[in-house]
Amino acid sequence: MRSLLFTAIALASFVRAQSPDAVSLLKANCQPCHNDSSKASGLSLASHDAIAQGGNRGSALNTIQQAIEQTGALKMPPGRKLPEEQIATIRAWLANGAVFPEAVAPKDAALKRRKGADWWAFQPVKRVDPPAVKQAAWARNPIDRFILARLEKENLTPSPEASRETLIRRVSLDLVGLLPSPKEIREFVADARPDAYERLVDRLLASPNYGERWGRHWLDVARYADSDGYTIDAPRQIWKYRDWVINAMNRDMPFDQFTIEQLAGDMLPNPTTDQLIATGFHRNTSSNFEGGIDFEQYRVEAVVDRVATTGGAFLGLTVGCARCHDHKFDPISQKEFYQLFAYFNNVDEVSSEAERYDFNRPFLAVPSAEEIARKKAFDSQWNALSKELILYVRELAANRKPGEDPSQDAELAERVQNLRELRKREPKFTTTLVMKELPTPRESYIHLGGDFTRKGIPVQPGVPEVLPPLPPEANTRLDFAKWLVREDNPLTARVTVNRMWQEYFGKGIVESENDFGAQGFKPSHLELLDYLASEFMRQKWSQKAIHRLIVTSATYRQASKQRPELDEADPYNKLLARQNRLRLDAEIIRDAALSASGLLTDKLGGPSVYPPIPEGAMSVTQVAGAWPVATGPDRYRRGVYTFFRRSAGFPGLTVFDAPDASATCTRRVRSDTPLQALTTLNDEAFTELAEGLAARILKEAPEDNTERIRYGFQLAVGRAPRPDEEKRMARFLASETDEYRTNPTRAIELIYKGGKFNADGVPANPPPAKLAAMLPKDLPLEAAWTGVARVLMNLDDFLTRD
Amino acid sequence: MTNEDFLLQFETRRHFFQTCGLGLGKLALLSLLNEGRGVAAPAASGNPMQAKPGHFPAKAKNVIYLFMAGAPSQFELYDYKPVLQKYHNQVVPEELMKGKRFAFMDTFAKEKPKLLGTTRAFKQHGQSGAWVSELLPHIAGIADDITFLKGVSTENFNHGPAKCFANTGSTRFGRPSMGSWITYGIGSESNDLPGFVVLQSGPRGPRGGAALWSGGFLPSAYQGVPFRSGGDPILDLSRPRGISGESQQETIAAIRDLDLSQFTETGDPEIATRVASYEMAYRMQTSGPELIDFSKETKETMEMYGAEPGKASYANNCLLARRLVERGVRFVQLYHTDWDHHADIGQPLNQVTGEIDRPTAALIRDLKQRGLLEDTLVVWGGEFGRTPMGEVRDSGKAGRNHHIDAFTLWMAGGGVKPGRTIGDTDELGFSRTGDAMDVHDLHATMLHLLGLDHQKLTFRFQGRDFRLTDVAGNVLTKLFT
Repeated sequence: MRSLLFTAIALASFVRAQSPDAVSLLKANCQPCHNDSSKASGLSLASHDAIAQGGNRGSALNTIQQAIEQTGALKMPPGRKLPEEQIATIRAWLANGAVFPEAVAPKDAALKRRKGADWWAFQPVKRVDPPAVKQAAWARNPIDRFILARLEKENLTPSPEASRETLIRRVSLDLVGLLPSPKEIREFVADARPDAYERLVDRLLASPNYGERWGRHWLDVARYADSDGYTIDAPRQIWKYRDWVINAMNRDMPFDQFTIEQLAGDMLPNPTTDQLIATGFHRNTSSNFEGGIDFEQYRVEAVVDRVATTGGAFLGLTVGCARCHDHKFDPISQKEFYQLFAYFNNVDEVSSEAERYDFNRPFLAVPSAEEIARKKAFDSQWNALSKELILYVRELAANRKPGEDPSQDAELAERVQNLRELRKREPKFTTTLVMKELPTPRESYIHLGGDFTRKGIPVQPGVPEVLPPLPPEANTRLDFAKWLVREDNPLTARVTVNRMWQEYFGKGIVESENDFGAQGFKPSHLELLDYLASEFMRQKWSQKAIHRLIVTSATYRQASKQRPELDEADPYNKLLARQNRLRLDAEIIRDAALSASGLLTDKLGGPSVYPPIPEGAMSVTQVAGAWPVATGPDRYRRGVYTFFRRSAGFPGLTVFDAPDASATCTRRVRSDTPLQALTTLNDEAFTELAEGLAARILKEAPEDNTERIRYGFQLAVGRAPRPDEEKRMARFLASETDEYRTNPTRAIELIYKGGKFNADGVPANPPPAKLAAMLPKDLPLEAAWTGVARVLMNLDDFLTRD
Repeated sequence: MTNEDFLLQFETRRHFFQTCGLGLGKLALLSLLNEGRGVAAPAASGNPMQAKPGHFPAKAKNVIYLFMAGAPSQFELYDYKPVLQKYHNQVVPEELMKGKRFAFMDTFAKEKPKLLGTTRAFKQHGQSGAWVSELLPHIAGIADDITFLKGVSTENFNHGPAKCFANTGSTRFGRPSMGSWITYGIGSESNDLPGFVVLQSGPRGPRGGAALWSGGFLPSAYQGVPFRSGGDPILDLSRPRGISGESQQETIAAIRDLDLSQFTETGDPEIATRVASYEMAYRMQTSGPELIDFSKETKETMEMYGAEPGKASYANNCLLARRLVERGVRFVQLYHTDWDHHADIGQPLNQVTGEIDRPTAALIRDLKQRGLLEDTLVVWGGEFGRTPMGEVRDSGKAGRNHHIDAFTLWMAGGGVKPGRTIGDTDELGFSRTGDAMDVHDLHATMLHLLGLDHQKLTFRFQGRDFRLTDVAGNVLTKLFT
C-alpha cells in the first residue's frame, strides 16, 4: 500500500516536471469551451477528476487522444487540427496518467459560476415601488406610473382615453372575444357612475365567454388539435382537455395549480378525473402511425417536443436549442436538456411495432351521463338476448333428433346474426389522451448530436443549474411541475404575465415572448414586468387579477390614434404613448361575425364541430378528412370549437394565422394577405353570416335607410358612422337595391345558394333553419342589405380592435 | 434582408410610404379619383410578395418541382444495374445490410431479403447516352435536356417525415418549406397570383398535407397556396352565388372608400395595406379564371401534354405549371401520388409512369420552345428511392422497400448544364460511389441558382437564426459549371 502511494506521488512529481506543456496546450486549445463553468458537451478538461468523470460521451481519458488525432468521427478542436508535435505532447501526457500540476488547475471561484448566469432573466423577481411621476393624476394604477415615468423621461405624453364606444368594443374583444351588443354599448356610454368601466370589466371577467377567449390563447401554447398529425393524421379525441382549459380559465384556477395539474395531474395523490384530463396538455404532441416506422423514434420526438414546449411556455427559454449540442447563447448544456427530457420520458406510450394495436395509449374513458345510460341499456339488451340464445341452444340440443345438425338451424343463425349486429351498435364512450407514468422509469441518456440511436452517458432528471436547485431525490415529473411554479423560480411568473401583456398591446414587455435568454429582446420595462410578476404571485397566481389590473390601467385605456411626433420618437410604440390597433385573431373574426349576425350558438364545450367549409379543402392530404357539415346549432359555434386537423387546418382559420399545432405557439403573427380578403368577401359561410346581419338590421332597426345604416354600424363596428361614411354607404345601398330590384332572381340565388329547386319547388340549398327564421319576406330587400352587411364585415374597422 | 428590415417592412408598413412616397393626402386623392369607377389599382406595395433581388445574380427565376410522392424506383427508371439483374434472387450479403435501418424491418426479418433485378429493358438515349428504361419513352426523348443526379441520399425512411425533410430540410413538421423560403427571399414576379402554388394529382393527397408547403415560422403570406384541381383553383376565388360582377366591384369600392376614411381618422398604415390586399384579391378573381382557361392553348399543345380541359390530371397540372411561371409565379410544386410500390413493382408502376411520362416531357419541350426553360429550374424526384432487394408481401409478386442512401433525381433548365449525369452508385445500387449529394445540398443548390446564399437566407425564431439547410448544405457547383 505504502509503496503504491509512493509510486503515485513519484509519478505525479515526475509528470509535474515533464508536462506543463500538455496542460498549457489544453488550456489554450480546449479549455475555452471545456472548463468548469461552461462545460461544452458536459465536459470539463480543467482537472484530472473532470476528465475522468467525462462528459456526454462518458469518460474523456480515452477520447481526448482520438479527438485530437482526428481519426474518428469526433474531431477536435473544431475546424482545425493541432500540429503533430503538440498532439504527441498530449499523447505522452495522457499515457503518463494525465496529471495536473496544482498550480495550473483553475481555482478561481468566480469561474465556477456558469457563464451567462448573470443575465437579467435568471435574477430573482424584484418588486420595486412604482416610480414618482409628474403627471400623477393620469395614473390609474401602478402600471401607469412605470409607463409614464419612462415617457416623461423621453419628454413624451400619453394619449387621451379612448371613447367609451371604443373602450367597450376593445375590452369585450380582448376579454371575451365577442362584440358588445348595441344595448350594452348604449348602457355603458350612458353609465355615469365613476366605476362604470370597472363594473364592465368585472362583468366580462365573470362571463363564461372569457374562458373561451383566454382558453384559446392557452390552447395555442398547448398545440391542441383534433388529429394525430404526421402522415395519417387520423382524428383523435382530446376535446375534453380543451374543455378543461376553458373551465379552468372560467374558474380562475390559480396558475400554479393550473400548471401542476397539466404537467403532472396523474401523479397527484388520488387524482380526480379532471386532474387526469388536464394531463392532456403534454399529450397534444403529434403521433405517427405510418406503416414501417420505428415507433421509438416518434415517441422520442414527442418527449423532445414536451421539453421544448415546457421551455417556451413556462421558462421562456429556447431549451430545444440544446437538443443536439450545448446551447450557444444561454447557460443550458446538452446534458441539462436530457435531464429535463428524463422528467417526461416515462410515460406509458407505445415504443415498438408490436404495440401498434395500442397506438395513442394511454387514454381515459370519460363517458357522459347520457353515454353511460346508453351503455347500460345496451348491456341489458345484450344480456337478455344472449341469455335467450343460450336457452334456445339448450332447447335445440334437448330436442335434437338423430341425424339432425342443430348448428344448421335457421332460427339459431338468425339469433346469432342479431347479436352480431347489436355488437356493432355498442355505444362508445368519449375518451381523452392522458399521461400515465411507467412503474419503472425508462433509462434516459444523452442523444449524441440529437440522434436517439447514438447513446451518450445516462442522465438523471434534473433542472438547469442556472435556476434554483431541486434536491436530487425530488426527481419526478410532479416535483418538476411544482418547481416551475415555486416563488423563487425567476421565469414562470414573468413569462406568463408577459404573454398576457402581449395580447393587450400586440407585443410583450419582453418582445421575444418565448426567449428570455441572451438572444432575446431585453424588457422594455423590466421593473414593470417584475411588478406584474410579483403581483401575480401575491394574488395567489390569479390570472383574472392580472387581467383586471392591466385592462383597468390608463395605459390600456388610451386612444390608438397615431401621433406624428411619436412616429419619430418611438416608431414601434415600445413606450406605449398610445394603444395599438390589432387585427383580430382568426377565431375572433369568426366570433365577431357570429355575434354581429345574431346567429351565434353560445354553448360552452362539447365535441368539436364542423362549420361549412369550401369544397375540396380537406382533400389535400393522404387521408381525406370527413367533414360532415353541421346544419343545426353547431353550425354557428365559436371558432374555438371548430374541428382542427393538423395536416389540413380549417382554411378560414389558418388564412388568418391560426397556428398549425405542430409545435407550441406562444405568439401568433398577424399577416395581411389577399387570401384573407377572398375569405371574408366570398366564403359562403361568411356570406351566410352577412345574411344574418342584414336580416337583423331589417328586423331590429326602424324602417328607414339612414337608421338602418346607423344600426348596422353599431352592430358591426360598435359606433355611429361618420357623415362621409353614412353618405358612402347610402350610395352603395342605392346601387345594391337597384341591382336586386332589377334582378330579383339574383336575390334568390344568393339566399338559396344557387337558387336551384326540384320539380316540386323544394329548394336544393335552403337557408339553415336559424337563419331562415330571421329572413324577411322581401328577398331583394334582404339581398341589398346583405350587400351592406358584407361591406361592414370586410371593413378594416370590423377586422381590427381599436 | 435582415430581420430588422423585415420587421420594419411588414410590421409597421412604413415601407409603404417610403417606397411609394404615397402620403395620406395622395391616397385620399386617389380614392376620390376612383370614385364610381370601381376598383382601380394604385400601385400599392405593402406587398410581402413584391419581387426583390437576391444575394447575387440568379441563374434561374422560377422553379417547377415535380414531386413524385411515394418514392419512385430508380432501378426501374434510370439507374441501370446489369449486375443486380445477374444476381437476381440471391440473398443479400450480410455486410451490405449491417448498420442500415429500413422501414418495414419485420418483413426483412422474417426472411432474408433477396436481390431483385429489374425486368424492364434499358437503352441509352440522346447524345448524352443516358440510360432510361422503356417505362419512360417520352422522358428518354428529352435526355439531352436534363441532368441526372445519382446516389442522392436523405435522412428518414418513412414517407411523411421524409417528404417533410425533402421540402423543409427537417423531418419535424412545422418548418418553412423551400417555396416559402424562396418567396420570402426574393418575392414573386406575379402581382395577381400567389407566389408559391401547389398542384396535386393522383388518387390521394400527399402524406403530410399542408406541412409540406407550410410557411412554418415565416409570415403566413409565404405559405404555399394549394390550388384545387376542380372548380376554382383557389379557395373562395369566386364571388358568392347571386352576386354579380358589378355588384362585387361596387362592394370592393365601398370597402376601399370606407377603409380610407378610417385611415384618415386613425392614421394607421395597416389600413393602407389592407386596401392593397383587397385590390390584389380583386385582381386574382380575374386572373384566376383566366389562368385555368385552356381555350387559347393550341390543339398541338393540348395533345403534346395529353391535357383535357376541366379534367383533374397530372397532364393538366403540367400545363398549368407552365402557365403559372409564364405569369411570373415563383415556385410551382406538383405532387403526383401513388409511387409506393411495396407489393408489386409491375403493373402499378406501368400505370403511374404512363400517367407522368408524356406530360413531363411535354413540359420540358414546351418551356424550351417558349424560351422559358433557361429561366425555369425543373426538378423531378421523390422523397427517397427504393431498395435493390425485393419485398415479397403477396406470393408471386415483388415490390421494393424504402431506400434512403442512393436514389435518382433529375433537374433541367434554370442554369443547370444539360445532358449529364452527376454522381454514381455501386453495381448493386446499394450506396453511392460518386459525389455526395443529400437533400440539404439540393436545397443549397436550388437557392444558389435563384441567387440566394443558403447560409445568409435566415429567419430568427425561438432565439436561433434558422435556414432551409439547417447547419448543412453544399452547393453542387458541378451542376452548372
